[in-house]
Amino acid sequence: MNIRKWFDDRLGINEISAFMTKKEIPQHKHTILYYTGSSILVFFFIQILTGILLAFYYKPTLELANESVAYIVNDVPLGWIIRSIHSWAATFMIALVFIHLLSIWITKAYRNPREMTWISGVLLLVISLAFGFTGYLLPWDELSLAATKVGTDIPRAIPIVGAWVTRLLRGGVDVTGETLTRLFTLHICVLPLFILMLLALHVYLIQKHGSSLPLDIEKKNISVKSIPFWPNFIYREAIIWLLLLGSLLTIAALFPHHLGSPADLMAPAPEGVKPEWYFLFLFQTLKIFPANILFIHGETIAVLLIGLMGVLFFCLPMIDNKPAEKKGKIITYAAYVFILYAVIMTVWSLL
Amino acid sequence: MKIKHSLFTRRRFLNSMIGGWITAMGAAFLAPIAKFVFLPNKEPDEILLPKSDYENMEPNTVKLFSWGAKPGLLKMNDDRSYTAFVAVCTHLDCNVSYLPDQRKFFCACHDGWYDENGINIAGPPPTPVRQLNVALDGEHFIITKNKGNE
Repeated sequence: MNIRKWFDDRLGINEISAFMTKKEIPQHKHTILYYTGSSILVFFFIQILTGILLAFYYKPTLELANESVAYIVNDVPLGWIIRSIHSWAATFMIALVFIHLLSIWITKAYRNPREMTWISGVLLLVISLAFGFTGYLLPWDELSLAATKVGTDIPRAIPIVGAWVTRLLRGGVDVTGETLTRLFTLHICVLPLFILMLLALHVYLIQKHGSSLPLDIEKKNISVKSIPFWPNFIYREAIIWLLLLGSLLTIAALFPHHLGSPADLMAPAPEGVKPEWYFLFLFQTLKIFPANILFIHGETIAVLLIGLMGVLFFCLPMIDNKPAEKKGKIITYAAYVFILYAVIMTVWSLL
Repeated sequence: MKIKHSLFTRRRFLNSMIGGWITAMGAAFLAPIAKFVFLPNKEPDEILLPKSDYENMEPNTVKLFSWGAKPGLLKMNDDRSYTAFVAVCTHLDCNVSYLPDQRKFFCACHDGWYDENGINIAGPPPTPVRQLNVALDGEHFIITKNKGNE
Protein backbone atom coordinates (compact mmCIF):
# COMPACT_ATOMS: atom_id res chain seq x y z
CA MET A 1 0.00 0.00 0.00
CA ASN A 2 1.26 3.42 -0.88
CA ILE A 3 1.80 5.40 2.35
CA ARG A 4 1.54 8.77 0.68
CA LYS A 5 -1.74 7.79 -0.93
CA TRP A 6 -3.07 6.54 2.42
CA PHE A 7 -2.41 9.92 4.03
CA ASP A 8 -3.58 11.85 0.98
CA ASP A 9 -6.95 10.09 1.00
CA ARG A 10 -7.42 11.12 4.61
CA LEU A 11 -5.73 14.54 4.85
CA GLY A 12 -5.73 15.86 1.29
CA ILE A 13 -1.97 16.61 1.36
CA ASN A 14 -1.61 16.56 -2.41
CA GLU A 15 -4.03 19.47 -2.61
CA ILE A 16 -1.87 21.46 -0.18
CA SER A 17 1.41 20.67 -1.92
CA ALA A 18 -0.17 21.50 -5.28
CA PHE A 19 -1.23 24.84 -3.83
CA MET A 20 2.28 25.49 -2.52
CA THR A 21 3.99 24.77 -5.85
CA LYS A 22 1.38 26.72 -7.80
CA LYS A 23 1.58 29.74 -5.49
CA GLU A 24 3.59 32.52 -7.11
CA ILE A 25 5.39 35.45 -5.53
CA PRO A 26 5.51 38.55 -7.74
CA GLN A 27 8.92 40.15 -8.31
CA HIS A 28 9.13 43.95 -8.21
CA LYS A 29 10.99 46.71 -6.39
CA HIS A 30 9.09 46.10 -3.12
CA THR A 31 9.48 42.29 -3.07
CA ILE A 32 11.85 42.58 -0.10
CA LEU A 33 8.86 43.58 2.05
CA TYR A 34 7.27 40.16 1.52
CA TYR A 35 10.05 38.67 3.64
CA THR A 36 9.10 40.54 6.83
CA GLY A 37 6.06 38.38 7.58
CA SER A 38 7.82 35.03 7.69
CA SER A 39 10.71 36.53 9.66
CA ILE A 40 8.21 37.56 12.34
CA LEU A 41 7.07 33.93 12.44
CA VAL A 42 10.64 32.74 12.97
CA PHE A 43 10.98 34.94 16.04
CA PHE A 44 7.53 33.91 17.23
CA PHE A 45 8.60 30.25 17.23
CA ILE A 46 11.82 31.16 19.06
CA GLN A 47 9.67 32.91 21.67
CA ILE A 48 7.48 29.83 22.12
CA LEU A 49 10.48 27.55 22.52
CA THR A 50 12.53 29.75 24.87
CA GLY A 51 9.36 30.76 26.75
CA ILE A 52 8.53 27.12 27.52
CA LEU A 53 12.11 26.55 28.67
CA LEU A 54 12.05 29.58 30.97
CA ALA A 55 8.69 28.51 32.42
CA PHE A 56 10.31 25.27 33.62
CA TYR A 57 12.29 27.22 36.25
CA TYR A 58 10.46 30.53 36.69
CA LYS A 59 8.25 30.99 39.76
CA PRO A 60 5.62 33.75 39.50
CA THR A 61 5.34 34.79 43.14
CA LEU A 62 6.30 37.89 45.08
CA GLU A 63 9.00 36.09 47.05
CA LEU A 64 10.51 33.93 44.31
CA ALA A 65 10.12 35.75 40.98
CA ASN A 66 13.35 37.76 41.06
CA GLU A 67 15.23 34.93 42.78
CA SER A 68 14.13 32.34 40.21
CA VAL A 69 15.20 34.57 37.31
CA ALA A 70 18.58 35.01 39.03
CA TYR A 71 18.71 31.22 39.39
CA ILE A 72 17.99 30.75 35.68
CA VAL A 73 20.70 33.25 34.77
CA ASN A 74 23.36 32.10 37.24
CA ASP A 75 22.83 28.39 37.91
CA VAL A 76 20.83 26.73 35.16
CA PRO A 77 23.19 25.51 32.39
CA LEU A 78 22.90 27.97 29.46
CA GLY A 79 20.09 29.72 31.35
CA TRP A 80 21.67 33.14 30.76
CA ILE A 81 21.56 32.78 26.98
CA ILE A 82 18.04 31.34 26.92
CA ARG A 83 16.77 34.32 28.89
CA SER A 84 18.79 36.73 26.79
CA ILE A 85 17.45 35.20 23.56
CA HIS A 86 13.88 35.42 24.88
CA SER A 87 14.20 39.13 25.66
CA TRP A 88 16.15 40.00 22.51
CA ALA A 89 13.90 37.97 20.22
CA ALA A 90 11.00 40.01 21.61
CA THR A 91 12.78 43.16 20.49
CA PHE A 92 13.51 41.70 17.04
CA MET A 93 9.94 40.47 16.68
CA ILE A 94 8.32 43.77 17.66
CA ALA A 95 10.70 45.71 15.41
CA LEU A 96 9.78 43.46 12.48
CA VAL A 97 6.07 43.77 13.29
CA PHE A 98 6.41 47.56 13.09
CA ILE A 99 8.33 47.34 9.79
CA HIS A 100 5.77 44.87 8.41
CA LEU A 101 2.79 47.06 9.27
CA LEU A 102 4.39 50.30 8.17
CA SER A 103 5.44 48.78 4.84
CA ILE A 104 1.87 47.63 4.27
CA TRP A 105 0.60 51.09 5.17
CA ILE A 106 3.05 52.78 2.78
CA THR A 107 2.51 50.37 -0.13
CA LYS A 108 -1.25 50.26 0.60
CA ALA A 109 -1.29 46.47 0.54
CA TYR A 110 -4.44 46.58 2.67
CA ARG A 111 -6.60 47.61 -0.31
CA ASN A 112 -9.82 45.81 -1.09
CA PRO A 113 -10.17 42.80 -0.58
CA ARG A 114 -7.44 42.63 2.09
CA GLU A 115 -9.04 44.78 4.80
CA MET A 116 -9.53 41.87 7.19
CA THR A 117 -5.88 40.84 6.73
CA TRP A 118 -4.91 44.34 7.93
CA ILE A 119 -7.35 44.25 10.85
CA SER A 120 -6.13 40.85 12.01
CA GLY A 121 -2.59 42.21 11.65
CA VAL A 122 -3.31 45.23 13.84
CA LEU A 123 -4.82 42.90 16.45
CA LEU A 124 -1.64 40.80 16.23
CA LEU A 125 0.38 43.99 16.84
CA VAL A 126 -1.73 44.73 19.93
CA ILE A 127 -1.18 41.19 21.23
CA SER A 128 2.56 41.36 20.52
CA LEU A 129 2.76 44.60 22.52
CA ALA A 130 0.70 42.98 25.29
CA PHE A 131 3.20 40.11 25.34
CA GLY A 132 6.00 42.63 25.79
CA PHE A 133 4.15 44.51 28.51
CA THR A 134 3.16 41.44 30.55
CA GLY A 135 6.61 39.90 30.17
CA TYR A 136 8.38 43.05 31.34
CA LEU A 137 7.12 42.71 34.93
CA LEU A 138 8.03 39.05 35.38
CA PRO A 139 11.68 39.52 36.49
CA TRP A 140 10.18 41.63 39.30
CA ASP A 141 12.99 44.14 39.62
CA GLU A 142 12.75 47.81 40.58
CA LEU A 143 12.46 49.18 37.07
CA SER A 144 9.93 46.62 35.88
CA LEU A 145 7.74 47.24 38.93
CA ALA A 146 7.69 51.01 38.42
CA ALA A 147 7.06 50.68 34.68
CA THR A 148 4.22 48.24 35.32
CA LYS A 149 2.66 50.54 37.92
CA VAL A 150 2.61 53.31 35.33
CA GLY A 151 1.43 51.02 32.52
CA THR A 152 -1.44 49.51 34.47
CA ASP A 153 -2.47 52.94 35.76
CA ILE A 154 -2.82 54.47 32.30
CA PRO A 155 -6.22 52.86 31.51
CA ARG A 156 -7.59 54.56 34.66
CA ALA A 157 -7.61 57.82 32.72
CA ILE A 158 -10.29 56.42 30.39
CA PRO A 159 -13.69 57.69 31.54
CA ILE A 160 -16.18 55.20 33.06
CA VAL A 161 -14.55 51.82 32.32
CA GLY A 162 -10.93 52.81 33.00
CA ALA A 163 -10.81 52.09 36.75
CA TRP A 164 -12.19 48.60 36.13
CA VAL A 165 -9.58 47.85 33.48
CA THR A 166 -6.84 48.86 35.92
CA ARG A 167 -8.33 46.63 38.65
CA LEU A 168 -8.65 43.76 36.18
CA LEU A 169 -4.99 44.05 35.13
CA ARG A 170 -3.66 44.47 38.65
CA GLY A 171 -5.85 42.01 40.46
CA GLY A 172 -6.84 44.75 42.89
CA VAL A 173 -6.40 48.48 43.31
CA ASP A 174 -2.61 48.31 43.65
CA VAL A 175 0.22 46.46 41.98
CA THR A 176 0.96 43.52 44.30
CA GLY A 177 1.92 39.86 44.09
CA GLU A 178 -1.53 39.28 42.57
CA THR A 179 -0.51 41.44 39.61
CA LEU A 180 2.58 39.34 39.03
CA THR A 181 0.67 36.04 38.98
CA ARG A 182 -2.03 37.56 36.81
CA LEU A 183 0.30 39.04 34.20
CA PHE A 184 2.20 35.73 34.14
CA THR A 185 -1.04 33.87 33.38
CA LEU A 186 -1.87 36.35 30.61
CA HIS A 187 1.67 36.05 29.24
CA ILE A 188 1.86 32.27 29.04
CA CYS A 189 -1.78 31.20 28.67
CA VAL A 190 -4.28 33.82 27.51
CA LEU A 191 -2.17 35.75 25.00
CA PRO A 192 -0.73 32.61 23.32
CA LEU A 193 -4.28 31.32 22.74
CA PHE A 194 -5.36 34.58 21.11
CA ILE A 195 -2.20 35.03 19.05
CA LEU A 196 -2.44 31.49 17.62
CA MET A 197 -6.08 31.96 16.63
CA LEU A 198 -5.41 35.33 14.99
CA LEU A 199 -2.28 34.04 13.32
CA ALA A 200 -4.25 31.19 11.77
CA LEU A 201 -6.79 33.68 10.40
CA HIS A 202 -4.04 36.03 9.18
CA VAL A 203 -2.08 33.31 7.36
CA TYR A 204 -5.26 31.83 5.89
CA LEU A 205 -6.27 35.24 4.50
CA ILE A 206 -2.82 35.74 2.97
CA GLN A 207 -3.14 32.38 1.16
CA LYS A 208 -6.70 33.19 0.08
CA HIS A 209 -5.89 36.58 -1.43
CA GLY A 210 -2.28 36.01 -2.50
CA SER A 211 0.46 38.65 -2.45
CA SER A 212 -0.68 42.20 -3.00
CA LEU A 213 0.85 44.08 -5.92
CA PRO A 214 2.05 47.68 -5.58
CA LEU A 215 -0.57 50.22 -6.62
CA ASP A 216 1.26 51.57 -9.70
CA ILE A 217 1.80 48.09 -11.14
CA GLU A 218 -1.80 47.10 -10.52
CA LYS A 219 -3.08 50.33 -12.07
CA LYS A 220 -1.03 50.01 -15.25
CA ASN A 221 -2.11 46.41 -15.48
CA ILE A 222 1.33 45.30 -16.64
CA SER A 223 2.30 41.71 -16.02
CA VAL A 224 5.13 41.23 -13.54
CA LYS A 225 7.60 38.42 -13.30
CA SER A 226 7.03 36.00 -10.48
CA ILE A 227 8.79 33.08 -8.85
CA PRO A 228 7.27 29.92 -7.36
CA PHE A 229 6.67 30.07 -3.62
CA TRP A 230 8.12 26.56 -3.24
CA PRO A 231 11.05 26.15 -3.43
CA ASN A 232 12.44 29.39 -4.94
CA PHE A 233 10.91 31.92 -2.56
CA ILE A 234 11.33 29.77 0.55
CA TYR A 235 15.07 29.38 -0.16
CA ARG A 236 15.44 33.14 -0.46
CA GLU A 237 13.52 33.57 2.79
CA ALA A 238 15.75 31.00 4.49
CA ILE A 239 18.77 33.23 3.78
CA ILE A 240 17.09 36.12 5.61
CA TRP A 241 16.07 33.85 8.49
CA LEU A 242 19.64 32.65 8.94
CA LEU A 243 21.00 36.21 8.87
CA LEU A 244 18.46 37.31 11.48
CA LEU A 245 19.14 34.25 13.65
CA GLY A 246 22.86 34.94 13.51
CA SER A 247 22.34 38.57 14.55
CA LEU A 248 19.99 37.49 17.35
CA LEU A 249 22.45 34.98 18.82
CA THR A 250 25.37 37.39 18.54
CA ILE A 251 23.54 40.23 20.26
CA ALA A 252 22.02 37.92 22.89
CA ALA A 253 25.44 36.53 23.74
CA LEU A 254 27.22 39.89 23.80
CA PHE A 255 24.54 41.91 25.61
CA PRO A 256 22.66 39.64 28.03
CA HIS A 257 19.58 41.26 29.46
CA HIS A 258 20.16 42.98 32.81
CA LEU A 259 18.42 41.81 36.00
CA GLY A 260 17.92 44.56 38.60
CA SER A 261 17.61 44.20 42.34
CA PRO A 262 14.32 42.74 43.63
CA ALA A 263 11.31 45.06 43.55
CA ASP A 264 10.12 46.58 46.82
CA LEU A 265 6.46 47.66 46.84
CA MET A 266 7.17 50.32 49.49
CA ALA A 267 10.28 51.88 47.96
CA PRO A 268 10.13 55.14 46.00
CA ALA A 269 10.29 54.74 42.24
CA PRO A 270 13.90 54.61 41.03
CA GLU A 271 15.11 57.33 38.69
CA GLY A 272 15.24 56.61 34.99
CA VAL A 273 12.08 54.52 34.89
CA LYS A 274 11.53 53.56 31.29
CA PRO A 275 9.32 51.05 29.57
CA GLU A 276 10.61 48.86 26.74
CA TRP A 277 11.81 50.86 23.72
CA TYR A 278 8.64 50.24 21.71
CA PHE A 279 6.54 52.07 24.30
CA LEU A 280 8.92 55.02 24.63
CA PHE A 281 7.13 57.27 22.12
CA LEU A 282 3.84 56.77 24.00
CA PHE A 283 5.63 57.27 27.34
CA GLN A 284 7.07 60.56 26.11
CA THR A 285 3.67 61.65 24.75
CA LEU A 286 2.15 61.12 28.21
CA LYS A 287 5.01 62.99 29.81
CA ILE A 288 4.65 66.17 27.76
CA PHE A 289 0.93 66.61 28.39
CA PRO A 290 0.31 69.27 31.06
CA ALA A 291 -1.50 68.32 34.28
CA ASN A 292 -4.72 70.08 33.32
CA ILE A 293 -6.20 71.34 30.08
CA LEU A 294 -9.43 73.33 30.58
CA PHE A 295 -10.30 71.55 33.87
CA ILE A 296 -9.78 68.07 32.38
CA HIS A 297 -6.81 65.94 33.41
CA GLY A 298 -4.14 66.18 30.71
CA GLU A 299 -3.59 62.45 31.11
CA THR A 300 -7.21 61.70 30.19
CA ILE A 301 -6.90 63.79 27.03
CA ALA A 302 -3.60 62.11 26.13
CA VAL A 303 -5.01 58.61 26.62
CA LEU A 304 -8.15 59.42 24.63
CA LEU A 305 -6.07 60.93 21.81
CA ILE A 306 -3.82 57.87 21.69
CA GLY A 307 -6.95 55.68 21.71
CA LEU A 308 -8.43 57.69 18.83
CA MET A 309 -5.20 57.26 16.85
CA GLY A 310 -5.41 53.52 17.52
CA VAL A 311 -8.98 53.36 16.19
CA LEU A 312 -8.01 55.32 13.05
CA PHE A 313 -5.06 52.96 12.52
CA PHE A 314 -7.35 49.96 12.93
CA CYS A 315 -9.80 51.35 10.33
CA LEU A 316 -7.08 52.51 7.93
CA PRO A 317 -8.17 50.39 4.91
CA MET A 318 -11.72 51.73 5.21
CA ILE A 319 -10.54 55.35 5.54
CA ASP A 320 -8.11 54.95 2.65
CA ASN A 321 -10.84 53.95 0.20
CA LYS A 322 -9.51 55.93 -2.77
CA PRO A 323 -5.87 54.85 -2.70
CA ALA A 324 -4.94 56.20 -6.13
CA GLU A 325 -6.27 59.71 -5.51
CA LYS A 326 -5.06 62.69 -3.50
CA LYS A 327 -6.57 61.35 -0.28
CA GLY A 328 -4.56 58.15 -0.66
CA LYS A 329 -1.34 60.13 -1.08
CA ILE A 330 -2.04 62.14 2.08
CA ILE A 331 -2.57 58.90 4.00
CA THR A 332 0.81 57.62 2.76
CA TYR A 333 2.45 60.85 3.95
CA ALA A 334 0.74 60.31 7.31
CA ALA A 335 2.79 57.11 7.66
CA TYR A 336 6.02 59.11 7.27
CA VAL A 337 4.74 61.72 9.74
CA PHE A 338 4.01 58.93 12.21
CA ILE A 339 7.50 57.45 11.79
CA LEU A 340 9.07 60.89 12.26
CA TYR A 341 6.95 61.53 15.37
CA ALA A 342 7.79 58.14 16.91
CA VAL A 343 11.52 58.59 16.25
CA ILE A 344 11.61 62.15 17.65
CA MET A 345 9.64 61.17 20.77
CA THR A 346 11.79 58.08 21.36
CA VAL A 347 15.04 60.05 21.05
CA TRP A 348 13.65 62.80 23.28
CA SER A 349 12.69 60.29 25.98
CA LEU A 350 16.25 58.93 25.97
CA LEU A 351 17.90 62.37 26.40
CA MET B 1 -43.16 26.62 7.75
CA LYS B 2 -45.45 29.45 8.70
CA ILE B 3 -49.05 29.17 9.85
CA LYS B 4 -51.29 31.74 8.23
CA HIS B 5 -51.88 33.94 11.30
CA SER B 6 -48.44 33.51 12.80
CA LEU B 7 -46.05 36.48 12.99
CA PHE B 8 -42.95 34.44 12.21
CA THR B 9 -41.94 31.01 11.05
CA ARG B 10 -41.41 28.05 13.33
CA ARG B 11 -37.70 28.00 12.39
CA ARG B 12 -37.27 31.61 13.41
CA PHE B 13 -39.06 30.99 16.68
CA LEU B 14 -36.81 28.02 17.48
CA ASN B 15 -33.66 29.93 16.49
CA SER B 16 -34.52 32.84 18.76
CA MET B 17 -35.31 30.44 21.61
CA ILE B 18 -31.95 28.75 21.29
CA GLY B 19 -30.16 32.09 20.78
CA GLY B 20 -31.79 33.52 23.89
CA TRP B 21 -30.91 30.40 25.84
CA ILE B 22 -27.23 30.60 24.81
CA THR B 23 -27.11 34.32 25.70
CA ALA B 24 -28.63 33.68 29.12
CA MET B 25 -26.25 30.78 29.76
CA GLY B 26 -23.30 32.94 28.70
CA ALA B 27 -24.31 35.72 31.07
CA ALA B 28 -24.77 33.20 33.87
CA PHE B 29 -21.21 31.97 33.28
CA LEU B 30 -19.69 35.42 32.93
CA ALA B 31 -21.14 36.90 36.13
CA PRO B 32 -19.30 34.57 38.54
CA ILE B 33 -16.11 34.85 36.43
CA ALA B 34 -16.22 38.65 36.70
CA LYS B 35 -16.82 38.36 40.44
CA PHE B 36 -13.81 36.04 40.76
CA VAL B 37 -11.52 38.24 38.69
CA PHE B 38 -12.18 41.57 40.44
CA LEU B 39 -10.76 41.39 43.96
CA PRO B 40 -12.37 43.65 46.57
CA ASN B 41 -10.51 46.79 47.61
CA LYS B 42 -8.11 45.94 50.38
CA GLU B 43 -7.18 49.46 51.46
CA PRO B 44 -7.46 49.79 55.25
CA ASP B 45 -9.82 52.23 56.98
CA GLU B 46 -7.37 52.81 59.79
CA ILE B 47 -4.06 51.50 61.03
CA LEU B 48 -2.16 51.82 64.30
CA LEU B 49 1.52 52.71 64.42
CA PRO B 50 3.49 52.26 67.68
CA LYS B 51 4.30 55.71 69.05
CA SER B 52 7.80 54.65 70.12
CA ASP B 53 8.83 53.97 66.50
CA TYR B 54 7.91 57.40 65.22
CA GLU B 55 8.19 59.92 68.11
CA ASN B 56 11.94 60.47 67.86
CA MET B 57 11.87 61.85 64.33
CA GLU B 58 13.57 65.11 63.42
CA PRO B 59 11.45 67.97 62.05
CA ASN B 60 11.28 68.00 58.26
CA THR B 61 11.83 64.24 57.93
CA VAL B 62 9.57 61.38 56.97
CA LYS B 63 9.25 57.76 58.03
CA LEU B 64 7.73 54.94 56.04
CA PHE B 65 4.71 52.87 57.04
CA SER B 66 2.51 50.45 55.11
CA TRP B 67 -0.89 51.73 54.07
CA GLY B 68 -2.27 48.45 52.75
CA ALA B 69 -0.19 47.63 49.70
CA LYS B 70 0.83 51.29 49.31
CA PRO B 71 3.65 53.09 51.06
CA GLY B 72 2.64 55.77 53.56
CA LEU B 73 4.90 58.53 54.84
CA LEU B 74 4.52 60.05 58.30
CA LYS B 75 6.10 63.49 58.19
CA MET B 76 7.10 65.61 61.15
CA ASN B 77 6.53 69.27 60.38
CA ASP B 78 8.66 72.15 61.67
CA ASP B 79 6.26 72.74 64.58
CA ARG B 80 6.66 69.05 65.52
CA SER B 81 3.12 68.24 64.41
CA TYR B 82 2.59 65.20 62.18
CA THR B 83 1.09 64.81 58.73
CA ALA B 84 0.57 61.48 56.97
CA PHE B 85 0.62 61.00 53.22
CA VAL B 86 -0.09 58.13 50.89
CA ALA B 87 3.28 58.26 49.13
CA VAL B 88 1.87 57.58 45.70
CA CYS B 89 2.01 59.99 42.78
CA THR B 90 -1.40 61.18 41.61
CA HIS B 91 -0.23 61.14 38.01
CA LEU B 92 0.41 57.46 37.26
CA ASP B 93 0.73 55.76 40.62
CA CYS B 94 4.51 55.59 41.10
CA ASN B 95 5.82 55.75 44.67
CA VAL B 96 7.12 59.21 45.58
CA SER B 97 9.99 60.10 47.89
CA TYR B 98 10.51 63.12 50.18
CA LEU B 99 13.60 65.23 49.62
CA PRO B 100 14.19 67.05 52.96
CA ASP B 101 16.82 69.49 51.68
CA GLN B 102 14.52 70.71 48.92
CA ARG B 103 11.38 70.38 51.10
CA LYS B 104 9.59 68.66 48.24
CA PHE B 105 8.05 65.34 47.33
CA PHE B 106 9.42 63.94 44.11
CA CYS B 107 8.20 61.31 41.65
CA ALA B 108 10.99 59.91 39.48
CA CYS B 109 8.72 58.31 36.87
CA HIS B 110 7.64 61.46 35.02
CA ASP B 111 9.41 64.20 36.98
CA GLY B 112 6.50 65.19 39.23
CA TRP B 113 7.01 67.61 42.14
CA TYR B 114 4.93 68.45 45.23
CA ASP B 115 5.72 70.98 47.96
CA GLU B 116 6.24 69.97 51.60
CA ASN B 117 2.48 69.96 52.19
CA GLY B 118 1.95 67.57 49.30
CA ILE B 119 0.54 70.19 46.92
CA ASN B 120 1.42 69.50 43.27
CA ILE B 121 3.70 72.27 42.01
CA ALA B 122 5.45 71.01 38.87
CA GLY B 123 5.34 68.29 36.27
CA PRO B 124 2.36 66.21 35.30
CA PRO B 125 0.64 65.45 38.67
CA PRO B 126 -2.94 66.75 38.45
CA THR B 127 -3.79 66.84 42.18
CA PRO B 128 -2.00 66.92 45.57
CA VAL B 129 -0.79 63.63 47.09
CA ARG B 130 -3.43 62.07 49.33
CA GLN B 131 -3.30 63.04 52.97
CA LEU B 132 -4.38 60.80 55.82
CA ASN B 133 -5.58 61.87 59.27
CA VAL B 134 -3.16 61.43 62.15
CA ALA B 135 -4.26 61.24 65.76
CA LEU B 136 -2.25 60.35 68.85
CA ASP B 137 -3.92 57.98 71.27
CA GLY B 138 -1.84 56.68 74.17
CA GLU B 139 0.90 54.52 72.75
CA HIS B 140 -0.23 54.69 69.13
CA PHE B 141 -0.55 56.96 66.18
CA ILE B 142 -3.92 56.29 64.59
CA ILE B 143 -3.84 56.82 60.84
CA THR B 144 -7.29 57.05 59.25
CA LYS B 145 -8.69 57.76 55.84
CA ASN B 146 -9.32 61.39 55.09
CA LYS B 147 -12.87 61.37 53.76
CA GLY B 148 -12.30 64.57 51.80
CA ASN B 149 -9.69 63.22 49.37
CA GLU B 150 -10.04 59.50 48.81
